[in-house]
Parts: sequence; C-alpha cells; structure tokens
Amino acid sequence: MLLKTKKLMKAFGGLKAINKVDFELPANEIRGIIGPNGSGKSTFFNLVSGVYEPDPGSYIEFDGKDITNEPPHKVGELGLARTFQLLRLYQDMSVINNVMSGYHTLVPYSFIDAVTGRKKIWDQEKNIKEEMMELLSFVGLADYAELNASELSGGQRRLLVLARAIAGKPKLLMLDEPAAGLSPVNVDNLMKILMRLKEKYGLTLIIIEHILKVVMDTCSKVTVLDHGEKIAEGTPTQIKDDNAVIEAYLGKKMDDEEMRKALAV
Amino acid sequence: MDKFKEIIRQYPFLGFVIAFIILMLVPSVFFTDLYQSHLASLICINIIVAAGLNIVKGFCGQVTVGHVGIYAVGSYTAGCMFLYLGSGLWLTLPAAILIAGLFGMAFAIPSFRLEGPYLALATLGGGEAIRLFIENGDFFMSTYGISNIPQPIIFGVPFDTPDKYYYIAMPIMLIAIYFSFSVLRSSVGRAFMAVREDPISAAASGINVKKHKMLAFVLSAMFAGGAGAVYAHLPPGYIHPNNYTVIEMVTFLAMVVFGGLGHIWGGIIGAIIITIVYDLTRPLYEYQLFIFGLTIVLTILFMPKGIGGFIDKYFIDRRFKTKTGAASK
Amino acid sequence: MKKINIIFSSLLLAVSLLVTSVAQAKDIKIGVSFRMLSDVGYKHGELIQDTVAEWNSSGGINGKKVDLILYNDECKSEKGVANATKLAYQDNVHVIIGSSCSSVTLPMVPVITKAKVPQIIPHSTSSKITLTGSEWIFRVPVSSRFYKIVQAKFTAENAGTKIAHIYVPDQASMDFSKSMIAYVKDEYGVDPVYEAQAGEKETDFRSYLLKAKATNPDALVCSGLVDETVRCLVQSYEVGIPKSVARVANSVASKVEVPTNAGKAAVGVSYAAAFAASDTRPIAKDFVKHIKKRYGVVPGHDFSQMEDLLTMLKPALEKAEKGFSGDLASDRKAVRDSIAGITNFTGLASGPISFCAAGSPECRDGNRTPVMIEYTKGGKNWKTKVAGTVTFNASAGL
Repeated sequence: MLLKTKKLMKAFGGLKAINKVDFELPANEIRGIIGPNGSGKSTFFNLVSGVYEPDPGSYIEFDGKDITNEPPHKVGELGLARTFQLLRLYQDMSVINNVMSGYHTLVPYSFIDAVTGRKKIWDQEKNIKEEMMELLSFVGLADYAELNASELSGGQRRLLVLARAIAGKPKLLMLDEPAAGLSPVNVDNLMKILMRLKEKYGLTLIIIEHILKVVMDTCSKVTVLDHGEKIAEGTPTQIKDDNAVIEAYLGKKMDDEEMRKALAV
Repeated sequence: MDKFKEIIRQYPFLGFVIAFIILMLVPSVFFTDLYQSHLASLICINIIVAAGLNIVKGFCGQVTVGHVGIYAVGSYTAGCMFLYLGSGLWLTLPAAILIAGLFGMAFAIPSFRLEGPYLALATLGGGEAIRLFIENGDFFMSTYGISNIPQPIIFGVPFDTPDKYYYIAMPIMLIAIYFSFSVLRSSVGRAFMAVREDPISAAASGINVKKHKMLAFVLSAMFAGGAGAVYAHLPPGYIHPNNYTVIEMVTFLAMVVFGGLGHIWGGIIGAIIITIVYDLTRPLYEYQLFIFGLTIVLTILFMPKGIGGFIDKYFIDRRFKTKTGAASK
Repeated sequence: MKKINIIFSSLLLAVSLLVTSVAQAKDIKIGVSFRMLSDVGYKHGELIQDTVAEWNSSGGINGKKVDLILYNDECKSEKGVANATKLAYQDNVHVIIGSSCSSVTLPMVPVITKAKVPQIIPHSTSSKITLTGSEWIFRVPVSSRFYKIVQAKFTAENAGTKIAHIYVPDQASMDFSKSMIAYVKDEYGVDPVYEAQAGEKETDFRSYLLKAKATNPDALVCSGLVDETVRCLVQSYEVGIPKSVARVANSVASKVEVPTNAGKAAVGVSYAAAFAASDTRPIAKDFVKHIKKRYGVVPGHDFSQMEDLLTMLKPALEKAEKGFSGDLASDRKAVRDSIAGITNFTGLASGPISFCAAGSPECRDGNRTPVMIEYTKGGKNWKTKVAGTVTFNASAGL
C-alpha cells in the first residue's frame, strides 16, 4: 500500500471533521474522493500532508513509513505532493521559479555549495532549469516561463500548480479540486494533460473533485466522505448505485433517469 | 555582447573580478577629494547592510525592524575587541559576523509565530533593547562611545585615511555581494521566495519553512554584523549608540524599498542612490526628513517594487515578447 | 564607437567643471556642523547666519566675503564625521565651527587634525576632547573638568556632603554626576548617600526620589537633559523632599526650558555655567535684550558662547587674512595660529578666554571661569542671581 490511514481523526472543537477514516491506496491507482461540502475532503488532505496534526490514536503510513506526526515539509520530502483548493501559487515569482521551487527536495548541491557559488552549482542549476522548462512545455506554459505567476490566466494557473507539484517527482499526487472554475473545454484539456503526466511520471493520484463527471471518467475507484466519515468506497459504477451516497448528495432516493441527470452535470 | 553575458553567467566569479578592477580604478579617475572616498566607504557599508536586509525582508518576506541593533552588535563586537583585546579588523570582522549571526538566530525565533506588523514590533523591540543595553553598559563605554578604533595596516601601510579605507571597505562589500548573489540565485534563494509567497505551499513542496526563516535571519544578520565592524573601523574609528536608532533603521529600509524588495540588485541600487541623495541634500537639512518621507511614500505608491522592479519589468516584458514572437513565426 | 565618444567627452566635461568650480573659491569659508533638531538648535544656527550676514554687509573680512556652509549633524557621530570630512576636503573651508554634542565633536577631532583644519567648539564640554592633544582644536565653553570641580566644591561647602544622585544615561549627565561623586570622595572622603541611574527619557522619577528621600540628604543632584531635569525637580517636591535640601542640576539648567517648565521647583536650583542672563554688565544686558528681541528667548550660555566665538573669530580671521597666500593649507595654518594668539578675550563669558600655541588642554580650554548661578524665581518670568565665580588655573582637574 502506498498510503494507508487507520482511525484517522480530527476534531475542531466539538465538530468531528474527520471521524475514524480507514483508507488504503495501492500504487498506480487513480482514486477519487467525493462528498458534499463540509464532508471533510480537504481536511483529509491536510491531515495526510501534515498541515493539520491528527488527533491522538490516528495513524498515517506513506510508502511504508509512519508519517502521522511529521511536519508538512518532511511529508513533502518523502514524495507526497499536493495542490490546494485556493491554488497557493507563488504570485510574485516567475513561472519558471514557481516550478523550480517545487524541485527543491531534489536539488543535488548543499547549502555550503550554494553560498560559495562554485561553478558546478551553475551547471546543475542549468540542468534543473532545462528539465523544468521541459515540464513547462509539457503543460504548455513554456512561453510564459519568465512572467510572474500573477500574470497568468485562471486555467494557466491551474496548469502551473500541477507542474509545480509534479516538479518534485512525487510518488503520490493529491489534487484538491483541480478543475474548479474551469470551462468544460478546459476541464477536458486539463484531464488529458493529467493522464499524460500520470503515464510519463508513473504517478499515483488522489483527486477531490466536485465535477462528478471528471471523477467518474478518470478514477478507477472512488471514496465517498460524509460528515467526516467514509460512507462508501468502490468503482464509479458501484458508487453510482449506492443508496447511502445518493442520500448524502441528494437527500432522497431517485429513479435511474433522474440520478443519471444529476450526476452527469 | 551576448557571448560576454554567457561567459559571465558561467563563471560568476569573473564578473566580480572585473567589478573589482573597475572599482579599484574609480577613485583615481573620478574622485576629486577625500570626502568622496569617505562617502564611497559609507556606500559600501550601506550596501552590505541593505544587501543583507534584502535577503530577510525582500526575499524571505520577514519584516524586521531590529536590524540596526544587529548592526550595532557588529560595531560593538569590533569596538570591544579592540578595547579589551587590542584586535584589528582582520580579527574583529569574523568575530562580529559570528556574533551577529547568533543574534540573528535569536531574532528569527519570533518569526516562527509572528507575521507582518507583529513581527515588526517584536524585532523593533529587540533592536532598541540592544541599543539601550549598550547605552547603559559601562562595559561598552555607554554614552562616551569607543574611540580610536584602529584601521588595518597592510605591508606597513596604514589604511587610516578615507581614500585608503575605501580599498578595505570595497573588497569586503564585493565579497558580501558575491555571497548574497550566490545564495539568492541558488535553490536556497528560491526557497526563501517560496516561504515569502506562501509558507504552507512551500512546506508542501518539501521546503522546511522554519529552517529557511532561520537561515535568512542568520545570513542577513551576518551581513549587518560585518558591515557594523567595517563601520567601527572607518576613520576616525568612533562608535556611539546614537548612530543605531530607529531613524537609521528606516534609512536602511528605505534603501531596500527604493532599490526594490526581493530584487537581487535591490539593496545595492537603493544603498547607492539613498546615500548619495542624502549627501546631496545635506545643506537642505531642514527639509531632509521631509524629502525622505516623500520619497518613500511616492516609491510605494508609484513604484511598489522599487527601481529593481522597474528594470525587471522592462527586461522581462521584452524577453516574453521575443519568445512569443519567435513561436508565432 | 560613437556612444563611447559621447560618454567619454561628457565625463571629461564634468570633471573639468568640477575642477574649475573648486579653483574659483576665493572667499573665506566657514563650515558649521551643528545639532539643528530642536527649536533652540535652529536658533543657534540662525545666530551664526545672521552674524555672518552682518559681517558681509559691513565689508566682510578685510573686504573678502565670508561663505558660510551649515550642516546638521543631528547629534550623531556618523553625521558629524561625514560633515567634518566634507567641510575639510570638499568644501575646503578655512575654519570649522562645531559641534553641539561632545559625542560628535570627539570623533571630529582626529578628522580635522589629519586634514589640518582649525576647529572651534561652541558648546561641547567633555574634557576628553582637548585631551586628544590636537593642535587644531579650540574650545570656547568651560571644560567639564572645571565644571565638575566647581559644582562639587560649591555643593559640599554650601549644602553638605550627604548628596543623593539621580542621573540619566546621557554622556554629559553621567559625567557630571560621576565626577562630582569622585571629587567629594577624594576631598571629603564621603560616598553619596544615594546613587541611581534612571532610564533614558525617564518620565517618572518618583521611585528613585522616594528612595533618595529616605536617606535624608543635604543635597539632591538631578542630572539629565532638559526634560528629565525638569521632571526630576518637580517630582522631588511631589514626593515631599523638603525645601531645605539643596537642588543641584548640571549645566542644562542654564537652558530657558528648565526654569520655565519647572516653575516653583526651579527656585534654589544651582548650576554652573559660562554665562548668566542676570549678568549686570552692560555688554551682557545688551546681548540679552538683543537675543530676546530677535529670537524670542532669554539666552543661556549656549547663545553667549556662540556669540563670543563669533566675536573673537572675526578679528582672528582679519589678522590671519593679511597673511593669506592663497594656498589653502597655509591659510588654514594662519587661521589656526591667529586663533591660538587670542589672549584675555573678554566678552559675555564669565571670565576671560585665552588660547595658546600648544595642543594641550591647558592651552585649548579657553574659558576657565565657571559661574555658579541660582534661580530665585521660576516660571515664565524666571530670575537668577550669581552665587559666585571661580577662576581655575589652567591645569586644574586634569
């Protein structure tokens, strides 16, 4: 298992944002996480990536290592990358620097090397830059490399966030609503790029997404959260027919026709 | 010209050798009197402080208003080492850098929890505390100041006049700039910027936020400490706590803001311009503070990224245009 | 190639312009570095400007115009050193007047000594300045080495030796209290009954004063800058230290703010100074009247010392000018020698001012006659009386 959580718990005051979630993810899978607003999807991400500290009794394992109480940068170092719902781009840095700072953990030279500014550093920097430019052209942002991230359009920003997360060659990439706010054409484009990236870098993916179509089309398995609890897990087809899921989303049972309409949005 | 640029990019050290040679020749070509040398030495010292301040403020985004206190630590390390041990610049400089680095560590601790104006207040208190501690300490000669701190003697030649001391301050300044460029252009500099832009996102990329904040504070404190030592030995070698007040801190900040926060040349350009402008407006002493206040306000209003940002914009726009132009062909 | 030519020729032009502008200087140049922050600081600057303008309108120095270059040093040594260097090497002045603060004048001395420019001090009193042994420095005010003896002696003899000290961490203030303590210890073998260092810009002295009161002192020394001195004096009555305890302040008590702001608390405060506004000599009366009319303040010794300095400088410059050769170095030397030749100058100061050729404190601390002054009335219409003067011999207090 690449990622495993056991009895994962997090309470904010009296609110149990995540309640005893057991989660297992083998390598090379694309997993979708869905659930209504406030169901604890983003909290789950924040717990796994170390932004929040889980409540006692929780256990998180990544790639065979216990990461339960590790700080976020340690988790990042181990090869778990993520994106944020609010993007959190480095607005005032150039596009190429955004991507290059994603490469941070893989930089081959030490701090002392950097201070002394030896020639080998600049060769290595050049190599890094070339590699990152390649990544940028892969997502189609090479022309904008020297621009500030704040000067990009919304769709380009989402691509940049993706590129930055992949720059560190992670084993697992967690995407928090990668397609939010995009037009259908752009969503398709993004998904195409995502699939190509997965193939190229051998990624394992977890995707939180509100647009169910995306989840249904791309994910091999889907986990459903509601009120901090895992209420269902299975292939998209199984989920589609799960009564608990339908209730959580829509509050009542519908016939097949209605439901297909609702999920196709 | 492009070939030359490429060579410099590959061998950054070469650029500094060229700069060194040019700066060595500057006094004999341009300077007509000793005061200009004195001013040039002051510019060198200010450049070191501003370049350091740019690391922590401009690149790492940590507001610090206590830097002048660390500058004072550097000066007084040098002053006290001379007073009690009789040391010269070559001993006091590394010691000042080291001790200032330790103080930088202390200044970094509040930045783990505080941000923006709160951090500014905490560091302001730290800087003022250092000055008051010196002012009230008999060990530091309190308000008498330490005088006659000696200038170095190289091959029997004492560097005790402003024109000669320039040749001490200038190479030290170049070395400092070299270090600052090396750090800021490497992955460490990028990590600093990432911490400035978004610490949470930076951590997700595997950047240790606390470590890099600490690093930025310590590095920039070392710059300030070194500058402080160079200032302490500047002829006539006199230091007094009055020279390390909040007003001096604002001047250093003005240099970085005017030059361009987070621009690699920012502190350097700012230090040169502000020091020279300050000197030119010396006879207008009644309006000096007004002029400076106005400069800062206008800079922030109309050039929020300072002169460095201005240059950046011009060059990068052009680069973008040429790239897309080529692509469309 | 064309570009380089243009750059090169414009550089040449700039350099040649600079050279000619330097060569044209024919006037007598006086440089001033001064603390021009407070209201009074500005007025001292105005006094110099007005006086020099007067000289120029009445024919200048032997027909030569006097060029006055005035810089602010904000009481900061960094600025003072820069000013001295600029005045000496760039502005090519013949003589420098400055500065207000001892901590600024002290580092200026090595600069002007190396540059060989005479400097004449209007206000700084720290004895360290002339102890540097520079041949180029002259002091018009009374040195702190005289002040500290006269104040200690006066207090011990008139009030008693049980003295409580409260001072702030300012060079002059600390110097004053510490040397007074040392003198009383040496001469009478008595330690102060209470000694405390208050904070910089302290506003509440009551905790110190209560402790001082408990020791039942003969005299209370409030040594600080203007505001601290006033607060300390006023609060000493608030905590109930009786009127019979003599109040002593350092030379800042000569500033008009002290009696004006302290009101009744100023009565009985004694201080040593170089000039008393209550001086009854006609020259002093005229001066007080003139300053009151022109600048709206009753002059303390900061004004009188500046006036004395300028009054003695003019004939010295006139004398030196006759020997001017046009070579700056020798002209400066002539000015220095001319100032060193001033003996027994009687102006507003409490005693005659004399210099001599050697670069020693004996020669360069011109005024050796501090005057003891006591306030007889506080408030806006404050009054003082002269409690006595002492003329020391040249090597006293060294």
